[in-house]
Amino acid sequence: MGIRLCQEPQLENPILIASWPGIGNIGIIAVDTLRGKLEAEEFGEIEPQEFFYPKRVLIRKGVLECLEFPSSKFYFKKIRGTDIIFFIGEEQPAEGGRMYAEGRKACRMAGLVLDVAEKFKCRRVYTSGAAVALIHHTAKPRVWAVPNSGSLISEIKAYQNTVLMSDIEGRGGHGNITGLNGLLLGVAKKRGVEAICLMGEIPVYLQGFPLSYPKASKSVLEVLSYSLKIEVNLDTLDELDQKVQQRIEEFYQQVPLEIRAQLDRLKRVAYAQPAEPGPITEEEEKRIVEDVEKFFKKRGEGG
Amino acid sequence: MNQRYPITIYQEPDLHQSSLVLAWSEDAGDLGRKVTDYLTLKLKGQEFAEIEPDDFFPMGGVAIKDNIARFPESKFYACSEHELVICQSDSPGAEWYKFLSSVLDVAERHCLVKELYVIGAMVSFSAHTTPRQSLAVVNLPEMKEILSQYDLNRDMDYQTQPGERPTLNSFLLWLARERNIPGVSVWVPIPFYLAAMEDAQAQKKVLSFLNERLGLRIDFCDLDQEIRRQNEQLALARSRFPQIDDYINRLESNLMLSQEENGELIKKIEEFLGEGD
Repeated sequence: MGIRLCQEPQLENPILIASWPGIGNIGIIAVDTLRGKLEAEEFGEIEPQEFFYPKRVLIRKGVLECLEFPSSKFYFKKIRGTDIIFFIGEEQPAEGGRMYAEGRKACRMAGLVLDVAEKFKCRRVYTSGAAVALIHHTAKPRVWAVPNSGSLISEIKAYQNTVLMSDIEGRGGHGNITGLNGLLLGVAKKRGVEAICLMGEIPVYLQGFPLSYPKASKSVLEVLSYSLKIEVNLDTLDELDQKVQQRIEEFYQQVPLEIRAQLDRLKRVAYAQPAEPGPITEEEEKRIVEDVEKFFKKRGEGG
Repeated sequence: MNQRYPITIYQEPDLHQSSLVLAWSEDAGDLGRKVTDYLTLKLKGQEFAEIEPDDFFPMGGVAIKDNIARFPESKFYACSEHELVICQSDSPGAEWYKFLSSVLDVAERHCLVKELYVIGAMVSFSAHTTPRQSLAVVNLPEMKEILSQYDLNRDMDYQTQPGERPTLNSFLLWLARERNIPGVSVWVPIPFYLAAMEDAQAQKKVLSFLNERLGLRIDFCDLDQEIRRQNEQLALARSRFPQIDDYINRLESNLMLSQEENGELIKKIEEFLGEGD
């Protein structure tokens, strides 16, 4: 049990782009949009049984006809010297109601994805996810980039609208990436494969919102397409974003005035450098987050 | 993945062409546990194997039931005379594929199982006086044909609804099919107000099918007595409490109760039958 390939494409100088669902589904929407735009072709999958509980059963006339599992599929696209392998996991192999995979299963799945990357001699791996940030939903999300090797930092610095952890106030270059979108970087490092995780910013108050955040997916895709030197039409993401922004605005108007006033202050957040004073103090940041959490908790209790 | 073999075999069973009956301990109406306990007792089943729980159950402490601390169990009993294997298990909370594969490993390697029977209860919003109709889901079409001579509804259509997941029974049947082991999942409806208690009628429904299908020649006079006792108790509850009688009357007329009324009926029946115990 492991990987099942239905064909072995001849790929030139390939890179692998992988993503699983996470906060706002930012990474997976970005990667799946690119896969769709490039019309990448499915060529394999990770066999699901040992990782997932089934998601759907079909019983017809008393006969169990079909048991479906969350998919973990590989696709490829040949593009003038930079061929791409996509890996898209429909779910993280998490247990106990958690959103993110961890432990043995997570390492095993990351290992299988990298087995394919190595089999096809991928020179680099990209993953993508979300970065929870103190930004307003009307702002253009930045992309936080984390490489698994210092040699990639200078390249990342050339990306537009992209920051390293050390550029983010108060983080001092530290942080963590939860789940497989992060773990894959570590496993790749162990195997000597270079990798970069691109995380689109999502406003802190929307991290539990039951909607995707395509605005950040678009930011990720802009960086990714720049890095891969490919042009992608992102109109579909814009359309999706418009719909989501409308829902967010409806929600936003229901937020009590005093909390909304705090959140409105995030509109003035400029991307300050660590040494510069920002428009919102650290204490104020903390209060905003606490107020928002209280509001959501209260809503949750109220049903 | 962890390669540790989670099965402990205490004694190799003397089985050559057996059937496996499996049930989960936490079923509605305690159906699975009662049916497998009954079979094990009547057929003098000998415990011969178990699946170690560490990989499959949260080990953050112990559950307490009826004042007693419990530990997850997945045990196998052999009834050699009847070529029958009984497995009674708590439902695993993790590593389901590995767990169910372990069940089938015991069945295939140690018991040469040729058929699988999985017991399941489903909560029904009908009265206890409504005749029970067992539903069967098979994993291979030929099994459906084999079951045609038994009193089972074999034509169920179902697909998972949004927000739901398939049952462990379906997962097990699917894995059995991959090993070419014919299997059937037998579902019996349990009136919702008996779901947290026991339902002797439902037990007999499943046991009668297994008795006939597997040629077990079990005499159910003790279970019949239990059914009579439970029916008398429920009749007493109806005569003493007009509201209980009204609710059950409405269910018997195929009328739905409100959520509040459902809750009230459950509470009153549980209180009444609990006192009787």
